[in-house]
Amino acid sequence: MNKNEKDAILSGRERNVILSARDVEVQFSLRGDRLTAIRGCSLDLYEGETLAIVGESGSGKSVFTKTFLGMLDANGSVTGGSILFEGEDISRFKTEKEWKRIRGGKISMVMQDPMTSLNPLKRIGVQVEESIRLHQGLSGAEAKREAIRMLDIVGIPDPERRYHQYPHEFSGGMRQRVVIAIAVACRPRILICDEPTTALDVTIQAQILDLIRRLQEQFSMTIIYITHDLGVVANVADRVAVMYAGQIVEIGTAEDVFYNAWHPYSWALLSALPQLGIKGKKLPTIDGTPPNLFNKITGDAFAPRNRRAMAIDFKVDPPFFEVSETHKAKTWLLDPRSPKVEQPASIRQLSERMNQDYGSGLKHPHQDPNRVPVITVKDLQVTFGSGRKKFVAVDKVNFEIYKGETFALVGESGSGKTTIGRAITRINPATEGEILFKGERISGKISKEVDQKVIRGIQMIFQDPLASLNERAKVEYIVSEGVRNLKMCKNSAEREELVQNALREVGLLPEFASRFPHEFSGGQRQRIGIARALIMKPEFIVADEPISALDVSIRAQVLNLLNELKGTYGLTYLFIAHDLSVVRFISDRIAVIYKGKIVELAEAEELFRHPLHPYTRALLSAIPNPDPAIERSKKLLVYDPAQHDYSEDKPVWTEILPDHFVYGNKQELNQYRGML
Amino acid sequence: MKSKQRALAEGQEQDAVILRYSTEELEAVTGASEAELFSFVEYQPEEAERVGHSEYSYWKSVWKSFLKKKSAVVMLIIFLTVFVFSFIAISPLCTKYSHYSELKSSRSNKFATPDSEYWFGADNIGRDYWYQVWYATRHSVMLAAIVGVGEVLVGVVMGLLWGYVRKLDRIFTEIYNIIYSVPTIIYMTLIALMIGKTFLVMCVSLIAFNWIYTAKSIRNLVFMYRDREYNLASRCLGAKLGTILTKNILPYLISVVILRMALSIPQTIGYETTLAYLGLLDVKEPALGLLLRNSREHFINYPHLLIFPAAIVSLITVTFYLAGNAFSDAADPRNHV
Repeated sequence: MNKNEKDAILSGRERNVILSARDVEVQFSLRGDRLTAIRGCSLDLYEGETLAIVGESGSGKSVFTKTFLGMLDANGSVTGGSILFEGEDISRFKTEKEWKRIRGGKISMVMQDPMTSLNPLKRIGVQVEESIRLHQGLSGAEAKREAIRMLDIVGIPDPERRYHQYPHEFSGGMRQRVVIAIAVACRPRILICDEPTTALDVTIQAQILDLIRRLQEQFSMTIIYITHDLGVVANVADRVAVMYAGQIVEIGTAEDVFYNAWHPYSWALLSALPQLGIKGKKLPTIDGTPPNLFNKITGDAFAPRNRRAMAIDFKVDPPFFEVSETHKAKTWLLDPRSPKVEQPASIRQLSERMNQDYGSGLKHPHQDPNRVPVITVKDLQVTFGSGRKKFVAVDKVNFEIYKGETFALVGESGSGKTTIGRAITRINPATEGEILFKGERISGKISKEVDQKVIRGIQMIFQDPLASLNERAKVEYIVSEGVRNLKMCKNSAEREELVQNALREVGLLPEFASRFPHEFSGGQRQRIGIARALIMKPEFIVADEPISALDVSIRAQVLNLLNELKGTYGLTYLFIAHDLSVVRFISDRIAVIYKGKIVELAEAEELFRHPLHPYTRALLSAIPNPDPAIERSKKLLVYDPAQHDYSEDKPVWTEILPDHFVYGNKQELNQYRGML
Repeated sequence: MKSKQRALAEGQEQDAVILRYSTEELEAVTGASEAELFSFVEYQPEEAERVGHSEYSYWKSVWKSFLKKKSAVVMLIIFLTVFVFSFIAISPLCTKYSHYSELKSSRSNKFATPDSEYWFGADNIGRDYWYQVWYATRHSVMLAAIVGVGEVLVGVVMGLLWGYVRKLDRIFTEIYNIIYSVPTIIYMTLIALMIGKTFLVMCVSLIAFNWIYTAKSIRNLVFMYRDREYNLASRCLGAKLGTILTKNILPYLISVVILRMALSIPQTIGYETTLAYLGLLDVKEPALGLLLRNSREHFINYPHLLIFPAAIVSLITVTFYLAGNAFSDAADPRNHV
């Protein structure tokens, strides 16, 4: 499809509707209770477009698209509305036989996790071939040739050899390419991508997005892209639908939604992005949690969390109001009778925001001449296993973290960033080198006294708010665990007070103490995790990807909280993350780690402006930017570790500028100096 | 209202014409004036933070979901009735004997079939069978309970250590290999012949050879929870091994522990029956297995000697197993509302 055709579709001149959903209602029955997951969703999908559906977890974005494939879980069913596709109402389909006509061949799906969507016991080629045999009717050598061609198309190098390999021989990104090949091999008219890059690293994610775009052009497919990442949306989408609590609340072209949004929820989503935050200031947040869909919702579901809700929002469900021919929003704000409102400043500025100053004039703790290191890591090496199975997770790493700063450690999965954090909290023992906490060695064998000091002084915040809380214990026990273990209070009344204070500190109600973790939302659970660390009155906190498992709307809450606590208690953070853009807002200094080695370390703004190491540059180029204009014209850099020739000229860890370190050999360092 | 909304929604996409509620209509539905409706209200942070509060209590939910399974409740009632009746049946209410040793053999009553005096008939030497069967039932159930509980207790403690402490894995695995590779019945035979045939010896040796199976299944489950982040969090907070095992891991295994218990009790009765049948058990204190053994030579001609104890053994094992199974399902919080 060429550019003109696409423009024609977007402008609405040539609206060829391929699938049309009306008032779809989906209910799940859960042990006697009925949960309405989709509350009357209507959608027209135009042929050849890429529609992105954005929303938090639980907003129903996946469930809604699963109804197009008849893939709802057994306890769920479409209880209302219709879905027209090729002249049939597919929501009336009952049997698998009916669905098989549509599924795969007409509408196909790519799932989130490439680990579970391939059969580990079958060769890659055979799995692609199956889909070709079934949907293209080819057989024998022909099917095999086609399978190899598909593997080639999705960018798998040396497809003839790879054809015979098993999934475990493929990396995560390569596996996702295979999954895409299988889906596309059916030659579907509609391809639904359900968060296909969420489980992948940033650099790989950018490559997969490129691939999907290329395939769409090559096979002229219509794509529905489900994601919670607005950066990804800006990259892929022609049109964007924002979902909240089982309804589409705003729909329009990418430009409409990003630059001219009207639903308060879209505003909140866009302005809460950490990428757009200004250092030293609070991020705008969306407080509270999404509504419980077991309850009947009256009015606008977002009203309780909307800071500027009107009385009618609580009473009557708003209809759609048209902003422009391509753009509709479901909010009473657009009703002529409502008071005149302006879009928040952050929305209007979005397009300019990305290139603005992020706060470079700020004073960072490490620039203080009297800086005191809280944590010193010297030649740290951590290895797992032994003998032939030995794996070096962290390789001779050096850095200091000064009092009062937020030190970010950024790298892909498997780069060893978490291992460093765990070495500091003494969960993983250091194989070589040492770690000092306020000048005292805390690695290796230490006395019980020092151990207690470490427990009090160094705490950790975990990534997964679901896995990091003990489901079978009440919040009261979880938060007070450290206090109990170290016998820090005399009696239970004192302990109770400590717990309640800690809960208040993180913005939770003290009465939550008597509840179990499963009653809370992700953001609230993460705050319980923070309260548990905070109650020990630590000086240093290792935050291991504390926001990457959270929804966009909740990230800002947690980041603000961390910044606030830092001010109140003079905390020092080690902030571990895989996403550079998030880290830019919160950190003073950033270290980039690749395969167990820190390759570059500099003040955050300095690193963004003058990235030296090729890996840092590749990471920066891959960051998804929540701005369609920038995202569509970006150039992706790919890092290949083979480009370093360290055979004779050995690399060293060098301070190339004051407080800007980089890893490279003499020749590279000269090259880097030339770039400055 | 509902139909109106539907009409609105249908109109929207098709004609791109957006209908709006009229002011009168809105006022009628909400009972507020237009000015009121379209004015901003104060933001209430508590309202936004509120979560659905439930008075969740683990054991209450376990009990509730168990009671939902009617068949299991019936099974439990049958089991308890049989067990309680084994006490009543040998009390003065139902029998003239006050102790097992008072049973007298009599030539005239040899193989008496059930009648009004001998409710279950009499055995090959003319002793009252009713008293023997119920005495044995009570004995068997109590023995099974002791062994079952003992075995599960030892197994759970060992299994937790086996699973969580990596260093112990090797030792425990070797112990498991040794015990597992030879059938228990051979160990039991050897012990009965070498040490003795008393109940105490049997209890101890049954526990000693069966705990490893519980431990093994617990160990495999511990693996699932061992590396979860909340355990790392506890370690960061200075939790000791015992605290992690009892507070962080054991609560997740309750349903499995109950299931092991439910399996172990009928299994022990089975073992005891087998051992008695093989003659590896002391004769002074009869258990159901002994009665079955005694009846084996005569049951073709006098089937009542086999039917009564066999029926009771089956009843106890089946009902207890089914009830225990249901209870273990109920103890799994995934099955709670």
